Amino acid sequence: MSDTLISASGLTRYYESGEMKVAALAGVDLTIERGAYVVLAGRSGSGKTTLLNMLGGLDRPDTGSLVIAGDDVLVKSTSERAAFRLHHLGFVFQSYNLIRVLSARENVAYVLQLQGMEKKERFALADHWMAEVGLQGFENRRPDQMSGGQQQRVAVARALASNPDLVLADEPTANLDSHTGESLMALMRRLNEQQGTTFVIASHDPAVIASARTLVNMQDGQIVSVEGKDIEAVKGDTVS
Amino acid sequence: MDNLSIYLKLGWRNLWFHPLRTVLTSAALAVGIAALTFLSAMDDGWMQQIKTNFALTVTGHIQIHAAGFEDSRKLSQRIESPEQVITSISSEAGIQAIAQRVRVSGLASSAGSNAGAFIYGVEPEKEKAISRLASFVNKGSWLPDGDERGAVLGDVLADRLSVAMGDKLVLMAAVPGGDIASEVFRVRGLLHSGVMEVDDMIVIVPLKTAQHWLGLGGAVTDIVIRADSFEQVTPMADGIKSMLSAQVLNGTDHKGLSSGQILETLRWNDIDPMAEQWADFADAYTWIVLLIVIVVVLVEVLNTMLMSMHERVREFGLMGALGVMPAQVFAMVIWETVILVLIGGLAGFVIGGGLSLWYGQQGIDLSQFAVAFSFMYMDPVIHPVLELDSMLRILGAAIIGAMIAGLIPAWKASKLEPVHALREL
Ligand SMILES: Nc1ncnc2c1ncn2[C@@H]1O[C@H](COP(=O)(O)OP(=O)(O)OP(=O)(O)O)[C@@H](O)[C@H]1O
Ligand SMILES: [Mg+2]
Repeated sequence: MSDTLISASGLTRYYESGEMKVAALAGVDLTIERGAYVVLAGRSGSGKTTLLNMLGGLDRPDTGSLVIAGDDVLVKSTSERAAFRLHHLGFVFQSYNLIRVLSARENVAYVLQLQGMEKKERFALADHWMAEVGLQGFENRRPDQMSGGQQQRVAVARALASNPDLVLADEPTANLDSHTGESLMALMRRLNEQQGTTFVIASHDPAVIASARTLVNMQDGQIVSVEGKDIEAVKGDTVS
Repeated sequence: MDNLSIYLKLGWRNLWFHPLRTVLTSAALAVGIAALTFLSAMDDGWMQQIKTNFALTVTGHIQIHAAGFEDSRKLSQRIESPEQVITSISSEAGIQAIAQRVRVSGLASSAGSNAGAFIYGVEPEKEKAISRLASFVNKGSWLPDGDERGAVLGDVLADRLSVAMGDKLVLMAAVPGGDIASEVFRVRGLLHSGVMEVDDMIVIVPLKTAQHWLGLGGAVTDIVIRADSFEQVTPMADGIKSMLSAQVLNGTDHKGLSSGQILETLRWNDIDPMAEQWADFADAYTWIVLLIVIVVVLVEVLNTMLMSMHERVREFGLMGALGVMPAQVFAMVIWETVILVLIGGLAGFVIGGGLSLWYGQQGIDLSQFAVAFSFMYMDPVIHPVLELDSMLRILGAAIIGAMIAGLIPAWKASKLEPVHALREL
């Protein structure tokens, strides 16, 4: 069954730096099916983060169109986009993913609380997801009482607890040693398969690239190739 | 409500993430609020004292005169039937005591010299319940009952006239019609009030003798009322005014007695405009205190909050990315600031309130400055008074200060673009 989650076309994003106009995205067409597990790869500066931010409604393209889960993201106001992120997306960033004064459980439950879930229910769900990412017993730890890998797992738990359409991760392993990075990726892959949650991950970490079901290679703000076992899930208008 | 609990939890925990910073900031705040609470309590105590001293030294809470007497001070403008007036107003609630007086300016002469004097004819026993004059007697005694020619006078005036206890004193004043009448008295007591115009000028004699001497019959110049409290003065004066004016309109009072005289009813603060100025001054002082509260809070808190915002740029970016609305971030920072101010402010309240209560009991002795203060009807010992109104005003000012101090950081935090905030580092 093919079911389009993301449909982007003609996305461009320019940055002015002095006299120069840098194209962070130079025309990206991309369609991603529900349930995909996509890694955006490419050298530093190739536009991975910029594209991910577009998909997350954190940044607006200069031109192009973007529809996620049937919603035209680009016509939304700032607060509508915030609400959209809250209800449809999960995020895992490179580091400092967690609110420093909240325990792991509270961090996971925070988004649920913003969504309006009752305390008992959200704490139960948070504990379930803490166990799911292998952190049973760490529920009451504050971020500074956990390792980098554990913090990233909490971020994954938070991203998935709200049952999002799409989880976006930017360099989730960048601050982890390779072993920890690999096990984080194994976790995300497993959740993708078990839950059917769509993942789009930007990274140049070989371990992340190795975990990809579909790999989208970027260069100079464009998609240069799409490869992998699950190539059907992604249609990128490649430019080479 | 659920959202409020997030704000309070995050605000509280963020403050204690840097305990030292929070303790230092709230300690500075506490000192400021404590000092201002104490100053405000001193002001309130001082105002109460001035009001009491001013009103009760001589004036009383309310005076009734024949219309125009306050301006003219002429005996021709007098209350012809004071007993009727007293009977008709005595039903007014909150009256503690009523007394009659005859008041006239004149000349006091002793064997050696003479001096101008304010002459008060009073009902010796009733006067004690109206004013503090009797309590100021520090030599001899208050007008003894039945001593028709006794006189009590201010100690400075006595000095000027070189009179001592038992000496003869001749008083002269113009009677209605224009003649000058004189009467002989004996000095029975001296008083010292600390108020210059009293100590320098006053001569107190029995009402009956004064009425006889001045040819007034049963008429008086003043009916003086003491209320149970200051709060009752204005409503009581209004009640008396309407009661008396109704009687004038009818030509008779409700008991069918003919009075028909137009009277004026004045509150203590109508009688001396100085009193009004003190009240204005105290108000201005209160506003200055509140303004300082706001400034203190701003100065103490703004910097701390900006520092705290700065180190959390990424966290705000993260929250924005997760879907927290800018308005929620704004509210969160405001709440954090308010909590910080409440910690410091409440500590300050406790300290300042404690000091105020303690010194309210002990009194603060400013007798070094007493000479200057006595002009202002002030005791040399101030008793600070904690008034709920004043405390709430200070608390309100502190919270307003907190909100203003929170505005800038809250605005900054809520305007952070998640993309930019997350790229920082
Ligand atoms: N805020 C910005 N201002 C100016 N230029 C920017 C900004 N953000 C990104 N760029 C530029 O856009 C281009 C793409 O950047 P982007 O961060 O998307 O790359 P990336 O593939 O994520 O790189 P990395 O692997 O280093 O994270 C780069 O040339 C970068 O310098
Ligand atoms: Mg990047």
